[in-house]
Amino acid sequence: MVLRAEGLAKSFPFEDKRIHVLEDINLSLESGKSLSIRGDSGCGKTTLLNLLSRLESADRGTVKWQDFEMNASKQCASKEGVLRAHFLGVVYQAYYLIPELNVLENVLIAAKLSGAYGKEVSDRARELLSNMGMGNKERQIPGKLSGGERQRVAIARAMINSPKLILADEPTGNLDERTGGEVMELLLESCDEEKTALVLVTHNQKFAEATDETLFLKEGKLQN
Amino acid sequence: MKVKKFLLFCRKSEIDHAFSMKIHWTLYLAWKQLFPSKKKVSFFSMLAVIGVALGVNVMIVVIVFMQGFQEKFRKDIIDAQGHGRIIPWKSQKKWSVQQKQIEDHNAITAVMPYIQGQLLLQKGEFHSIPFSMGIDPNSGNSVLQVDSFLKEGFLKMNAHDAQDITPVPTIETLEDEVVFVSSQVARRLGVRPPSIIRFNDLNISESEGVGMVNVLRLDPFVESAEWEIIFQNDSEFIISSDVLADQILINLTDDPKEMDLGIPVFQAVPGSRPFKKGDRFKFHVFKGSKFEVFAPSMIEKVKADEMVPPREVKVGGIFEVPWQGFHTEALLGTMRFMQDMQGDEGRIDGFYFKTMKGFAKDESHLAKCCEELESKLGDGWTVIPWFVENAWFFDLLKFEEYLMILIMVPIGLVAAFAIAIALMTSVLRKIREIGLLVAMGGSRFSVGFVFCLQGFIIGLLGAILGCSFALLFMRFRDELMGFIVKIIAGEDGQVGVSQFYDFYSLQIYYPWESPESLNTFLSFACFAILVSTLAGLLPAWRATRLKPADSLRSE
Ligand SMILES: Nc1ncnc2c1ncn2[C@@H]1O[C@H](COP(=O)(O)OP(=O)(O)OP(=O)(O)O)[C@@H](O)[C@H]1O
Ligand SMILES: [Mg+2]
Repeated sequence: MVLRAEGLAKSFPFEDKRIHVLEDINLSLESGKSLSIRGDSGCGKTTLLNLLSRLESADRGTVKWQDFEMNASKQCASKEGVLRAHFLGVVYQAYYLIPELNVLENVLIAAKLSGAYGKEVSDRARELLSNMGMGNKERQIPGKLSGGERQRVAIARAMINSPKLILADEPTGNLDERTGGEVMELLLESCDEEKTALVLVTHNQKFAEATDETLFLKEGKLQN
Repeated sequence: MKVKKFLLFCRKSEIDHAFSMKIHWTLYLAWKQLFPSKKKVSFFSMLAVIGVALGVNVMIVVIVFMQGFQEKFRKDIIDAQGHGRIIPWKSQKKWSVQQKQIEDHNAITAVMPYIQGQLLLQKGEFHSIPFSMGIDPNSGNSVLQVDSFLKEGFLKMNAHDAQDITPVPTIETLEDEVVFVSSQVARRLGVRPPSIIRFNDLNISESEGVGMVNVLRLDPFVESAEWEIIFQNDSEFIISSDVLADQILINLTDDPKEMDLGIPVFQAVPGSRPFKKGDRFKFHVFKGSKFEVFAPSMIEKVKADEMVPPREVKVGGIFEVPWQGFHTEALLGTMRFMQDMQGDEGRIDGFYFKTMKGFAKDESHLAKCCEELESKLGDGWTVIPWFVENAWFFDLLKFEEYLMILIMVPIGLVAAFAIAIALMTSVLRKIREIGLLVAMGGSRFSVGFVFCLQGFIIGLLGAILGCSFALLFMRFRDELMGFIVKIIAGEDGQVGVSQFYDFYSLQIYYPWESPESLNTFLSFACFAILVSTLAGLLPAWRATRLKPADSLRSE
């Protein structure tokens, strides 16, 4: 079991009340399997991914990464850092590339943060980028890329450390149908090859159906 | 050709890349954020560097100039008064034992007995009552900088067909019938020391060689006359003049000290030899002025119905003392002259003394030396160091120092704020990236280090640039000041302004010349580096404490 979440709940204060975004989330994912989550805008998909990646603390519940059981209501501790870098790859909805670094360096910095330096890593980064169709833009800076290109760099960055789990937040949101399809295919293929588990948040029914399991997020709960 | 170029490019970027692969990501990221590419410098980092540099520059320049002024005042006072004064409780006629005792103190290098008083000078219808001092010509120069005062007050004449070759007078020409007067006295009485000119058109025309002659010594006993010298060979020449009974044969190697007073001592202009037989030079000497001196001691004699003729003296030189605390109307004569005028043979009013080089830099050393001297000399003598005699000046310096602190602290704070703000804005722009780095597994420590390092680099570059600005400012201070004065006061005002604000002669010290200056440079550079490092670290440290989810959501 790569990922297991039990009884996750999250609410945010808003004016005097609290909005309960997530009520009781339970899910589990085996290595090499994929899972898609769909839902209306603002229903809490990104929030759920943040809880699963422990960037945010939950009100209740537990998150278990592989063999590490963690109390989800506690802040992520700094000693988790190295573990996180190896275990987890995240594709953010808003890419978050570092503007001063070029495409290749943006991918490599994730490797360096996990402590991997050297020629093998940079070879792997190049291979990932060329798989993503970005091989010819290694030295471009993110500010001069299109939205789709940025997304592909962000995917390569998420995959550079061969993580056990990838959390992808609408990785095809900015892509046209055809490119989106290609990127999705790449993502699923790589996950398959490297036995990486994938949690995919998407609005696109077609992409969602390509995963092993499809779930809906509605009123704070996951439904089939 | 194109392929070759491409390969070359690849290789170069490969090396670059290999390098970037090896160094730690924190260093690399910090460097990249400051200098995104080789050609481009981040606008924000440039702004921050310039901010730091200006702050450092201003603080260093102000302090160094203040130190320069203080140093100048100090030097001027010590030049005019020595390191201290030893005064008997009443005038002494027997003082050679004491002089020996003072000289024997191992910190003291020079002792000069003096006698002072007031004299009335008269030249025609003009009068002056200068502060007058009798000094010993042998030791005078070692305590007071008489020769340099004479140089300050020296003026050259302008002539069309002749050149003023009067040498600057020295204390050696001070005899009992000769006095030096300050330029104020000279102007008031309209007196001047002797001078000599060399006629241009009458020499070279008859000179075969390349030799040229000027004057080494012109004593106050010369009379106004024409002088002519004719060379016999490279080193011997004949002097003739109306005021000489016979011609004199002189060799250039003769010792000038041996020569009679009243005759100019000629010398070859260094490097201009050889002279040829028949080389002829013509000169004109204008004798120095004389004036009459009256002393208060004469009054008693006049009361007793004695006839007292005034004393007539020659003007040997005109001096200027840079220290304005020294009386502006002043006269220097020999001790014997002053004693005669006071009618008090052998009397002195005290000693001036000077200590070893560097000894008096520390006031406490000098104070201790004065105490030792006092106990050595026993009752009847007081020893006053220069900073006690000029205590008012020290109070002034203290006041100036406080004022400076009052001005510098806000300037320092403003500079520190500018530095801090410049860095903080550049950190705050990067909140999302900080969140990302933490989310990707970066520790708070290493993320904080990235920004701390940026602050340090900016501080370092700013400090280096600021120090260089300061050095440039110091190097070109005359040009800069001249320019500013010209803008404010115009061409004509320039002279007036420079008289009061003596920037032109201000001695300031480069860091390699004085430890004090080095200290100033280093402290402000370190201050700037410290402030910018902290200003980089603190906001980043705070940002790493935010939940990464919140930093990532921030817009
Ligand atoms: N830090 C926060 N403070 C207050 N409210 C928040 C916070 N984070 C999220 N929310 C709220 O939680 C809800 C869910 O947000 P979330 O970003 O998870 O939506 P989403 O499902 O990802 O939407 P989309 O499909 O548009 O990306 C939103 O209504 C948002 O306003
Ligand atoms: Mg979302």
